[in-house]
Amino acid sequence: MTYYLSRTLLQLAVTIFGIVTVAFFLMRAIPGDPALYMLGDFATEASLQALRARLGLDLPVWQQYLLFVERAVTGDLGRSVVTGQPALKEMLAALPWSLSLAVAGLLVAVVTGVPLGILSAIKRGTWVDVTIMFIALLGISFPVFWVGLAAILIFSHELGLFPALGASTQQGFWVQAHHLVLPAVVLGLSVAAYIARLTRSAMLEVLGQDYIRVARAMGVPEKRIFFRLALRNALIPILAVIGVTFAWSLGNAILVEVVFSRPGLGSTVLKAILARDYQLVQAGVLILAAGVVLINVTLDLLYGVIDPRVRQG
Amino acid sequence: MSDHEKTGGLATNRRRFLQLTGAAGLGLAVPFNLANVRLAHAAGGQLRVRVGSDISILDPALIFQIENQTVAGHVYNGLVKYDQATNAIVPDLAKEWEVSEDGKTYTFHLHEGINFHKGYGALKASDVKFSFDRVRAEATGSRYKGQFASIENVAAPDDKTVVITLKGANSGFLHKVCAFNQGWIVSEKAVTEKGEGYKLDPIGTGPFVFDSWTAGSSVRMVANPDYFEGAPKVDEVVLRIIKDETASAIALENGEIDIAFAIQQPEVIDRLKAANGVTMLSREANNTVNLVLNTTIKPMDDVRVRRAIIHALNRKGLIDGFFKGTKAEAYSVLTPTFQEYTENVPKYDYDPDKARALLKEAGAEGFEFEIVTVALNPYDKFPVPMADDLNAVGIKTSIRVLERGAYVQARASGKVKSCITAVVGPPDPDSPLVTLFSTASFPPGLNTSQYGEVDDLLQAASAEQDLETRKGLYEKIAQKTMEDVPVVPIFADRLFMAHSDKVQGLVQNSLFTVNTYSVSLTG
Repeated sequence: MTYYLSRTLLQLAVTIFGIVTVAFFLMRAIPGDPALYMLGDFATEASLQALRARLGLDLPVWQQYLLFVERAVTGDLGRSVVTGQPALKEMLAALPWSLSLAVAGLLVAVVTGVPLGILSAIKRGTWVDVTIMFIALLGISFPVFWVGLAAILIFSHELGLFPALGASTQQGFWVQAHHLVLPAVVLGLSVAAYIARLTRSAMLEVLGQDYIRVARAMGVPEKRIFFRLALRNALIPILAVIGVTFAWSLGNAILVEVVFSRPGLGSTVLKAILARDYQLVQAGVLILAAGVVLINVTLDLLYGVIDPRVRQG
Repeated sequence: MSDHEKTGGLATNRRRFLQLTGAAGLGLAVPFNLANVRLAHAAGGQLRVRVGSDISILDPALIFQIENQTVAGHVYNGLVKYDQATNAIVPDLAKEWEVSEDGKTYTFHLHEGINFHKGYGALKASDVKFSFDRVRAEATGSRYKGQFASIENVAAPDDKTVVITLKGANSGFLHKVCAFNQGWIVSEKAVTEKGEGYKLDPIGTGPFVFDSWTAGSSVRMVANPDYFEGAPKVDEVVLRIIKDETASAIALENGEIDIAFAIQQPEVIDRLKAANGVTMLSREANNTVNLVLNTTIKPMDDVRVRRAIIHALNRKGLIDGFFKGTKAEAYSVLTPTFQEYTENVPKYDYDPDKARALLKEAGAEGFEFEIVTVALNPYDKFPVPMADDLNAVGIKTSIRVLERGAYVQARASGKVKSCITAVVGPPDPDSPLVTLFSTASFPPGLNTSQYGEVDDLLQAASAEQDLETRKGLYEKIAQKTMEDVPVVPIFADRLFMAHSDKVQGLVQNSLFTVNTYSVSLTG
């Protein structure tokens, strides 16, 4: 287990380092110049040069990279070139907003997706199955921003049940939770569709296994077969997809954040990319990559708990 | 206090819910309106204003973006300011000023008893000198350094007097020290103490004190009870960042915000015009949106080709059809918001036949043309009908839509055939004209057309002291540039902003900002 854990942690560090390195060079490869963004319409060549020198952008890219790595290992990700704030601090401030949205969205997704997938598998081939899968297909097909706007129109404007804005300027758990409902449901339902489809196929695959047939032949009640035997074994692929969809929903969260005017990592990284705010993008990518990798590691460990074979392998 | 938001939001939601469930259950409209039961706010309250993007830098030397300028307009003052309604230059920190006979020396006398926010002490003439010298210093890296190019020296002989000596007479000089961008006065002590942190912790003398910024969400400013022109009528202003216009319209209708600023989409404008309890304001902006033609690239170095392009474009059709009448026609790059505005310029009707004839005459039939534009609504959309118009007269037009960073870089290279450019700023004729037509603004500046025929006129106009003569010179510039057409004005921008009926006393300016000093809330 110790070997497994240390190997996983090493992989984690290498992966994050790799992602941040790719992001570093990608950002510098795309056209657009932070100095030009800041000085804008009235920029002269002399003032552009001066600002580039001040921001260290006049150095060759490889030197900028070495500097970045040197500082990053000490936890210094630099300051936002636009606002002058420490980049990590600005990104960490956005983290709770993203986490609360992602967790609430995932909760909605699991609570709706898993039972629907199970129901679909149980009622395989019936109208219930067909209906659920059709709705899931619709859920996958509709773009999140469209569903978001429709939700605002119906539940905020017409019914007046929830605010149109996904975050309040007021403090307080209940106020924020009230604002969070619509964005979480919109994000969650887009992921629920995937989870429902995968739960169904995972369940069906397990139900086709020999030991289920044996159990059936031995007269084990159907309920017991489904929930004790099949579901437990179907959980691994379901967990895997939940991990993937969690990462995917962080990406989708950008659209949800924009439609519902909610702050978060996604919209902050997007803002930073548009402003060519290199430091801020790097800090954002680092946090996002670390988040996704950590989720996957946690899931890996969970597989071990659920299925001892994984641990031994 | 934030109870205004709470009562407003919940009461509205509850009301609508009751109306709908009541109506559904009884088949009747609910006979009373809970909104009337809400406690009235006698005074104060929290005013919530929608802005479209997050803020970034609030230091006047480095500031850009309308959202930042909107915050700064609440926090800072200038020596003089634009009247919100008329754009006339009126006193601000300076109660009066004199200009020497040769027009080279401006002496400003500051109001007594003006204090900086958060205990940064009394405003002194040395703060004004510091603010201006800071913009002028190369090390600051200010984008407004060029705006102060006419200044020789700034002096503060005593605490209440500022003397600015110019290199030459400049009748438009007051525009440069007006409360906008480089004209805003900062506290020397605050800037020195805060260093890099000043960018997001502005200290001014204005009617509102900057309180806090939640990235991606909101900016909070509280009333300055000691403001020298009297305390504001609301207790605090919260700028809410709402990117999506439809969402901001719904938030306004729901009572989640009070003012929806910077509305662009014709559909949203129509929707809000029809909404109950909402008033739509609209006025001309200080800018036109232009197609800048690169006069160094063949065959656009031939004036006949440039005239062919302007004749080929159905600009009226674009305004009526594409923008549904929400934009106005432009005759030159100055809009009617400028005191120097004139319509006495060469005009170009939509005339495809004339365009074809001009192209034939210039031997430029079938030449390949490209419109470079930015990937922002509507700048990535309206070039499509324009390209159709140009293709119809035989100009093979393609459109290249670039993300903003890439677009700014491409435009600054000076190598694009044409691009869409708007110069947003105060009603100072120097601002758009020098930016678009002066050789001092050759790329990387915004003179992407690389036109250089009006330098002398621009120089003469800014040095002229007689206002009528000056106006005549600007008219000549407008005529000459419309004769040569290095820049095709496509439309004059209009600003739209909507507010709920609780908002009283809001004056819309033409500066692309919103100022809520005059606003009060009722009900």
